[in-house]
Amino acid sequence: MHSLLIALRNIARNAGRVFSTVLIIAVGLTALLLGGGFMLSTYDSLQEIAMRQQGHVIVIAAGAHPAAGGSHQQLTLSHWQALREQLQNDPQVLRSLPRASFEGLISHGDNSAAFFGTGVDPQVEFKVHGPFLRTTGVLDPWLGEDDIPDVVMGTRLAETLAAQAGDLLTLQTLGKGGQRGEVVVQLAGLYHTGNPQVDNHTLMVNLSTVATLFGSDNISQLAIYLEQPDQALAFKQQLQPQLTDALVQSWHQRAELYNKVKSQYDRIFGVMGIIILVVVFLAISNTISLAIHQRREEIATLSALGTPPWRIIANFALEACLIGILATSLGMALAYGATHAINLAHLMMPAPPGRTEGYPIYVYLSWPHYLATSAVLIAIVVLASLVASYQAVKVKMTEALS
Amino acid sequence: MSRATLHAIARHYGSGRQQITALDSVSFELASGEFLAVVGPSGSGKSSLLNICGLIDSPSSGRYQLDDVAVDRLNPQQRCTYRRRHIGFVFQRHQLIPAMTVFENIAYPLYLNGMATAQIRAEVNALLEKIGLTQRHRHLPRQLSGGERQRVGIARALIKKPKLVIADEPSASLDHQHAYASLQLMRELNREHGASFLIASHDAFVIEQCDRKISLFDGRRVDSDA
Repeated sequence: MHSLLIALRNIARNAGRVFSTVLIIAVGLTALLLGGGFMLSTYDSLQEIAMRQQGHVIVIAAGAHPAAGGSHQQLTLSHWQALREQLQNDPQVLRSLPRASFEGLISHGDNSAAFFGTGVDPQVEFKVHGPFLRTTGVLDPWLGEDDIPDVVMGTRLAETLAAQAGDLLTLQTLGKGGQRGEVVVQLAGLYHTGNPQVDNHTLMVNLSTVATLFGSDNISQLAIYLEQPDQALAFKQQLQPQLTDALVQSWHQRAELYNKVKSQYDRIFGVMGIIILVVVFLAISNTISLAIHQRREEIATLSALGTPPWRIIANFALEACLIGILATSLGMALAYGATHAINLAHLMMPAPPGRTEGYPIYVYLSWPHYLATSAVLIAIVVLASLVASYQAVKVKMTEALS
Repeated sequence: MSRATLHAIARHYGSGRQQITALDSVSFELASGEFLAVVGPSGSGKSSLLNICGLIDSPSSGRYQLDDVAVDRLNPQQRCTYRRRHIGFVFQRHQLIPAMTVFENIAYPLYLNGMATAQIRAEVNALLEKIGLTQRHRHLPRQLSGGERQRVGIARALIKKPKLVIADEPSASLDHQHAYASLQLMRELNREHGASFLIASHDAFVIEQCDRKISLFDGRRVDSDA
């Protein structure tokens, strides 16, 4: 007996009802796949931002506070040059960037503002930020070793100071022991991130400028960028034993924003996903229950002929499985088309809290995600049919056949 | 030789003041190979009796024995197995499975009983030839006439060579010509397979063709043999 063929005939026979069920599942799946694809792309973007800003693996002084390692005024990592040289020769390492964090006051004429500064190696620093730090260079070379050191700063900080490229500004700092540092710098360029905290208050200078201000060539951290970012944890575990007086961290140990946002999105999308699944389950249960109820005479006949209840339930489960496959195929096709349409439309999300700019909506197309979500929906359809058919086989044959 | 023995069978629905008695102390015996008609007006308890005899319902009280098996004491699973192996049904509205072809509908009881595919094919083809539907074996029930559907229903009931065939108003949805043909077919298969038939009918023609009849009224036997 060709159960599959009979199931297909039943589906064709009830095409009208099946169509509405298929449509409910397909629309539900499309919503889940689009939401999930957007979530995956958001995670990926946040991960990319975190990795580009901090490095894949970060070395800080052992005594530095791990959570705020490399925070302002903690110039605690010494003898880093030898380590950097060693890392440059490691084939796993793409580049290593020394960063010295400090803070102080910057003045331009009558205008002054507090700042958070970073001393960087300008040869490589601007190669790692990609689209997440848009720079406007006006002097070449940036942050060069000129008589007057250069500074680049966030666009809004420059606005606050009413400073323009080429202007001279004064940096003032206070060292750990209370010694004052002061240096005149020239505004060489601006950068923009869309993050007001960065654009309003930060600047970058050459490492040598930091050394002049503080009388030390210590840095806050050495950010390591790997050829294979996904090897960050393994590389961290490999590097830590070699460094007794330094702490090695992977990017996600320090990516507070990424971890918070991911955890929040996991909850939001998780709840949304569960709601969609529950709605789909209820809708499917309803249509399948109705369909099975309308076939109770057939079920009673099968029972009268001596068909064991499990076999009747299995036949309905097979039909539900086929409907599920049909519906999820349609849902995947709809989601595939909608994903491409959304990505091509270059739609923008409004600026999230703490940002001044929106970001493009991009939806990932992940086949494992497609297949896993479809499998969950097929399981839900089968479950709904099992519940409905289990109820149906308990109906008295005498009533159904009368 | 007695095939089925029913003793003081009663069937009540509901309870207390709402209780309805569909059958009240009905007893009779059905011989092996006998063609027995159950007659009576609507509401007389014919269908209730047939349901109990076909093991799709249980009596409220009384004893029912089929070939030395006290079938009234079987649990639902055992009743299902017994129906599958030993009881055939001819329904008033033939009740063919809409998604199964003629061949599949007739073959279904054999498939349920685990018969080998080759043997199923041989048995079904032989019966299809006998009922004159060989050419239509791939048709679905909706593609058949009423008479053809009933012939398929009869074939399905008899393909497994049951001990007992329950036929509830088998001619009710047929014209006289088809009713006659269906009855002839049942008679012929009855002779070949030796199955006992219990037929509920209003149709005088059908009743005439039976070996014996019992009459019910308000759930009680009212014929002279009662």
